[in-house]
Amino acid sequence: MFHRSARITASALIAAITLLPATAASAQAQSSGSGTDGWVRLAHLSPNTPPVDVYLYPFGNSTAQLVLKHVAYGTASPYESLAPGLYLVAMRAAGASASTTPVISTEVNVVADRAYTVAGLGPASALTLDVLNDELDAPSGRAGVRVIEASLEAPTVTITAGTDDIATDLRFPSVTGYQTVDPGSWTVRVATQTTSASSRVTLAEDSTHTFAVLDGTDGAPRLLDLGDAVGLTAVPKGGVQTGFGGTAIKTGSGDGGLATEAEWGALLVLGAGGALFAAARLRRG
Amino acid sequence: MGRHARPHILGRAGKVSLTALGVAGIGVMVTSGLGLKADLGSTAAPADKTQVSTSLPTGGPTVPTTAPSPAIVPAGANGTTATTALYPIAVSIPAAHIQATLQMLSLNSSGALNPPTDLTQAGWYTGSSVPGQPGPAVLAGHVDSTTGPAVFYRLEYLRAGDTITVTLSDQSTVQFVVTAVASYPKDDFPTTSVYGPVPDPELRVITCGGSFANGHYLNNIVVYAKLADSQA
Repeated sequence: MFHRSARITASALIAAITLLPATAASAQAQSSGSGTDGWVRLAHLSPNTPPVDVYLYPFGNSTAQLVLKHVAYGTASPYESLAPGLYLVAMRAAGASASTTPVISTEVNVVADRAYTVAGLGPASALTLDVLNDELDAPSGRAGVRVIEASLEAPTVTITAGTDDIATDLRFPSVTGYQTVDPGSWTVRVATQTTSASSRVTLAEDSTHTFAVLDGTDGAPRLLDLGDAVGLTAVPKGGVQTGFGGTAIKTGSGDGGLATEAEWGALLVLGAGGALFAAARLRRG
Repeated sequence: MGRHARPHILGRAGKVSLTALGVAGIGVMVTSGLGLKADLGSTAAPADKTQVSTSLPTGGPTVPTTAPSPAIVPAGANGTTATTALYPIAVSIPAAHIQATLQMLSLNSSGALNPPTDLTQAGWYTGSSVPGQPGPAVLAGHVDSTTGPAVFYRLEYLRAGDTITVTLSDQSTVQFVVTAVASYPKDDFPTTSVYGPVPDPELRVITCGGSFANGHYLNNIVVYAKLADSQA
């Protein structure tokens, strides 16, 4: 169907027609990700608040883009990728009609390549719907961890991962900032003044996590490990050598693809001009 | 932005007619390209999915073809348990007429990503996420050989919205949708953009592009994709 030479010619023709400035077509580096979407996840971390239905609306739009039914305490959705812009997150009692006034709502401004956790926090009597900025990157070779204290039964906790202190005497309700820890598989211990609970958590290099401390079933707190972002175990250096040139146009130019396009464009214009000139001559003849 | 991210003035159909016009206008310049069409059928469309590698002209380092050890399969995030045995075995990109089996790719001694040793196979970097698990899953494949097209010859024709299907070792499939296609100079490769941590299951598909000089293409084409909505 296509072959490389003709395809580049077509691109060049488009460029010539639209007089697209060269700078507009140059490669653009971004901070992280493809620069197209941001991410939001929704969480219910209010211990004595009954299950809720969570709605996400593009701001000013009465039709929900996402509805999560019957979200109970201690659950979080996967990340939803969203076009950048303003959104409204609303919580209604589970089963309530979408037309009823929400129990609580908040705005979230989604920026490309950024992630957010929108979480119901605190006791039911003082429920808040908070927008947390999630870190996607940990310092090289490390993992990032933050803690949400969301246990009413264990209002003060101390958390350790291996020998690292993650949070000391953290009070309900609160959210810590991220701190870095060594990657690996750790025993994470959540201790109150009277009891403690341990769980095994794997923290991959270059990953970030949110630990939520929850009410447990037997009086001991429970740890929920929400993975935030996952990177590569080792980031390759530079690009990849994935071509041998068998379909390349041998211009001898080292100026990059765009220069090649411009060259082809110029040649195409010359060629087309020549063809028209020839056609005109033929008609006259 | 790369030329693919340019506003779409023409659809694929329009592009065909322009291509034809281009060929008519400068027919003398595309003769080498026309010669390649004959190669395309044999190299870009592997008929036998289980075929064994044909060696590269340069004979790259040996790449293990067994399953990765559990240690290098990333742990699942979001509270899920990692399925240690699972790894990708094939990729299908209908919009680019790509259907290929996957090798395991690793880093070389200087830390660069080894390309596949087979021109008709693509590869999965074992240090990246298993496709469908949170984080970036990285696939790479050759655009051409010394004489004609290779497995990812048509990769750069992809547009946002095109679908990519990855088959895993348990024969389950994971569908992705292209969000962006970019062309980056290799000497200014945006490592964070391409390889940086992400919170959701994403895919990066990489090949070569741009000008060819001193035995190498100067650019990498990178296709960004996210999990298709039906599976998110």
